[in-house]
Amino acid sequence: MNLLPSSFRDPSGFVFSHDHTIYRQVNNTFSGNYDRFMSSGLYEALVSKGLLVAHEDVTDSDLPRTDSCHRIIRPTHLPFISYPYEWSYSQLKDAAILTLRIQARALKFGFVLKDASAYNIQFVDSRPLFIDTLSFEPYEEGTPWVAYRQFCQHFLAPLALMATVDIDLGKLLITHIDGIPLPLASKLLPWSTKLKYGIQAHIHLHARVQTDYADSAGTDQNAGNRAQKARNAKLSTTGLKAIIESLASTIDKLKWKPAQTEWGDYYSHTNYSDQATLKKRELVDSFLSAIDTPLATIHDLGANTGEFSRIAANHGSLIISQDIDPVAVERNYRECRGSETKNILPLVQNLFAPSPSIGWANEERESFRQRANCDAILALALVHHLAISNNTPLSHIASLFSSLGNWLIIEFVPKSDSQVVRLLETREDVFPDYTEQGFEKAFSVYFSIVKKASVSGTERSLYLMASLNSAEPSTLQSTGP
Amino acid sequence: MRQIITALMLGTFSLNAFAYLDPGTGSMILQGLIAGIAVAGFTIKTYWYKLRSLFGKNQTASLLDDDLEPKIDEEQK
Repeated sequence: MNLLPSSFRDPSGFVFSHDHTIYRQVNNTFSGNYDRFMSSGLYEALVSKGLLVAHEDVTDSDLPRTDSCHRIIRPTHLPFISYPYEWSYSQLKDAAILTLRIQARALKFGFVLKDASAYNIQFVDSRPLFIDTLSFEPYEEGTPWVAYRQFCQHFLAPLALMATVDIDLGKLLITHIDGIPLPLASKLLPWSTKLKYGIQAHIHLHARVQTDYADSAGTDQNAGNRAQKARNAKLSTTGLKAIIESLASTIDKLKWKPAQTEWGDYYSHTNYSDQATLKKRELVDSFLSAIDTPLATIHDLGANTGEFSRIAANHGSLIISQDIDPVAVERNYRECRGSETKNILPLVQNLFAPSPSIGWANEERESFRQRANCDAILALALVHHLAISNNTPLSHIASLFSSLGNWLIIEFVPKSDSQVVRLLETREDVFPDYTEQGFEKAFSVYFSIVKKASVSGTERSLYLMASLNSAEPSTLQSTGP
Repeated sequence: MRQIITALMLGTFSLNAFAYLDPGTGSMILQGLIAGIAVAGFTIKTYWYKLRSLFGKNQTASLLDDDLEPKIDEEQK
């Protein structure tokens, strides 16, 4: 039985993989709650609205199971797992609102969420989807929400920090796997946020009472008192609903506004005339058409706002559209959300220091590399950033890309290009091998160059390459340039 | 009498057996402390939206109304 390392905290059950399929065992200890949840109508209500992942009951007796097994379910397959520290501002915000909507709807059916982890959300078809079927337990009237603190740590604190201090503070979720501690958030937020009721109550005051009660620990008597106080804490149903609305309203009022100049200027900063952009689009499209093996996943690295991911979306089942710039990723997500094209997942990813594997035994959340295997990579207008801004030798870039995907569409940006001139303006040119010839030589060790075309109107070249690591023989259709 | 029974029943409740998270003593107590203001705020908001609806503005006070699609900021779209 191959247990997933991300699923050990909740004793209600666990997730495992078997024959490349993901299953979830529901444990006997949770059987009553699970059966009540399934028969309450809440499951159908959430699944029919596309808010909760659907699953099937599995009766296959050959499946592995433990003695504590009540039931095994098979959730709908998710092709890619992303993490909150990779989401743009609006992705985290939509995930937060989804969690609260589910909590509000669950209450109507007499249930509550027993946890509010951001890792319970995944993005499917440009929308957040709740994936933890075992998060529901019957609501006991009069009890406060046990996941209130977790919700504030996983959603409200990072959103408030991102919106009011710096968008990059979302990355604090990498070092704090159970969300940003509220005393830390309270310390980092500007004083002016104390004047806002929602932030004051749910973060500043929340941090204060947490610290106060933690400080009163130490003696057995105090510990007993604290447990008693927590048990005695009461909250009416009306109060609970109002707190959930208050959290939603606090999040709704937070607005992240990137500097005006950063918006909309993306393609005027490039070296492309409209004509050249059109040419490049045609070339990328024809290179992708030339690949005749199925493209399930394509990673668009350095995707910017996803212009070329939208072309790739016609060729692959899922495009992971990644960029280092949170403003670009935000734009990309907003465009995806309002678009008919649903198979693009925008994510913030810094290739100089990609998402590490974090959590218990470094296994709970996988690194970028562990999730980056794909059928094709797009690396457009990227290589100069990797090679010159980060001093990465071309052979390292070729080696990494060939270990990730079978196909590579890559653009070489020469030193004469004004973008590279700008990068070299303030530093010594220590890159004698950074030439088209040097590039081809370095990449030929790991790839065979299948097609090459110059992008008319620029000095750049576009390549279609097939990895020499690939087990499958590369075959090509006769179409294309 | 009913109030006494309710109070006795509430006293017997324990934290749910399946609450595997530590909810945090402060976090549990805080909810009771801020609920009053939250309820008042939401009640005022509800009446405000009802008043607005008299003037043809059709909006709901709840951001979590489950018949609605998740709200998208039109200004930022």
